[in-house]
Amino acid sequence: MKQKKYMNPYVGGVLLGLVLIIAFWVSGRGLGASGAAKSAIVTGVKTVAPKHVENTAFYQGYLETHPQPMKEWLVFQMLGVIVGGFISGAIAGRLKFKVEKSPKITSKTRLIFAVLGGILFGFGSQLGRGCTSGSALTGMAVLSLSGFLSMAAIFGTAFALAYFARKLWI
Amino acid sequence: MGPLIVNGIISDNTNLFLAFLIGIGFGFVLESNGFSSSRRLAGMFYGYDTTVLKVFFTAAIVGATGLLFMSLFGWIDLSYIYINPTYLWSTIGGGVIMGAGFILGGYCPGTSFCAASIGKLDALAFIGGMFIGILIFAEGFPLWEEFYNAKFMGAPLLSEVLGTSRGLLTFLIILVALGMFYLGEWSERKFARSDYQLNQK
Amino acid sequence: MKARLILAAVLIPLGLIIAAVPENTTKPYKLTAEQLLEEVQSGTQFIHPDQVADMLVSKDPSLQLIDVRNADEFEKFSLPNAINIPLTDILNPEWEGYINQDVKLNVFYSNGSNDANEAWMITRQLGFKNNYVLQGGLNYWAETIMNPEAPENTSPNEEFLKYNLRKGAGLALGGDAENTQSAPAVSAPAPPIQKRPKKKTVQGGC
Repeated sequence: MKQKKYMNPYVGGVLLGLVLIIAFWVSGRGLGASGAAKSAIVTGVKTVAPKHVENTAFYQGYLETHPQPMKEWLVFQMLGVIVGGFISGAIAGRLKFKVEKSPKITSKTRLIFAVLGGILFGFGSQLGRGCTSGSALTGMAVLSLSGFLSMAAIFGTAFALAYFARKLWI
Repeated sequence: MGPLIVNGIISDNTNLFLAFLIGIGFGFVLESNGFSSSRRLAGMFYGYDTTVLKVFFTAAIVGATGLLFMSLFGWIDLSYIYINPTYLWSTIGGGVIMGAGFILGGYCPGTSFCAASIGKLDALAFIGGMFIGILIFAEGFPLWEEFYNAKFMGAPLLSEVLGTSRGLLTFLIILVALGMFYLGEWSERKFARSDYQLNQK
Repeated sequence: MKARLILAAVLIPLGLIIAAVPENTTKPYKLTAEQLLEEVQSGTQFIHPDQVADMLVSKDPSLQLIDVRNADEFEKFSLPNAINIPLTDILNPEWEGYINQDVKLNVFYSNGSNDANEAWMITRQLGFKNNYVLQGGLNYWAETIMNPEAPENTSPNEEFLKYNLRKGAGLALGGDAENTQSAPAVSAPAPPIQKRPKKKTVQGGC
């Protein structure tokens, strides 16, 4: 089945902006992603090694403010993202197991770099208190200083390093 | 009126349910715009596909303008909106690390979940890496705790820092964004690739 | 591309409007009758005399007592450092600086709680924050703080603690006399002060 075309980016942007406004109107907060991953991590560690969680200040601090990490707003929002992405992919005929990469590299290389990028992103999103959606996009919509700072840092660094990583993509 | 949860109009559980619906909207829009494709995302940094820039900034300016108008009409109380705090060094440091992760991994957390939902295996690998990254951060927290909390500046708005009104700043951002969109479309023509199709309406 | 031009044609005028309009600093929403009723019934606007006494004794600078009775009554007796804004005069713009602010904790009081409660409802409807009502008014104040009733011997310890606190506060605040001399702070765990501007803290993060 031939893939349908992607949505016009400006139309998509307006729709995304509206979703963002609804999120603000309903819960006074924007969108986010890495917070849900953090909830999952804390829950996971708590299940596997409850003793360890009790003795680590970081987890205790998190659990104090989030007594039920899997009952967090962002977790439910992220589940929605998975469902929403799936629906859109199904409608457009894009459901397919595959590794997307530049024709010049092997799938294995792509996966190794994906994991590496994931580690960096996971770490950075915790350090920076939010990722592209939570900190940069949402932060910019509310005009917060940190939103603009993290947007500039993320995209600036990616542009600066683009030359060195060009083999991965072009 | 808004935010509904702060003013106690909806219950906590309704809020979570609405979060799920909002997430569906978020995921749907991301996927429909091809944010589930890492080559499309990475194209932004080589100029052959600037969709990310367009969608991202359109959403930001629509969101900013919309919030100000809703406040003007009295539909939402902006003082209840969460403003992310600024810890100068960790915000920048985190951003730099995320930028490196973006160019290597080709996704950001939100888009990786979205891509995984339609079967992209590299996105699954990215999510796995992300969990490892968060785990490293949590386990080694005492090592970077000081950096994490350094140079706390409260939760200032850019408009406060620049000394303008929110409306004026929003207007300026709209102009900047439209300028960038123009550049983006120009670059898509200039850096067009024979092995990559934009494939959009 | 056409879509970009449409976007520009919509957003630039909107941006101009929003840049030109002064920011909405008045509190944007009014409560509906139902919402107000619900708030009145839930009674979150009330502050117990114990709390007020404790703040007075510890000279908490954030406390602002506002007497909504008429000037004659205010002259005869008032709580320490209270200002007088008669209920009939509450909409006078002169007072707005006092009742529309977000630094101090305003506590309205009258003889009972009716007049104070009305003052609170008016300010609440105007969207002003940080206004509260002294529960039971001066009558209840006199009962609890100035002439506390000793608990029975069989009462639990907390009752005695409360009684001692009240007695101390009553003495410190002048007991039956109206004068407001300075008083040593009572060293006792302060009852939690409920500041209620946010019902829920919104958390963010990604």
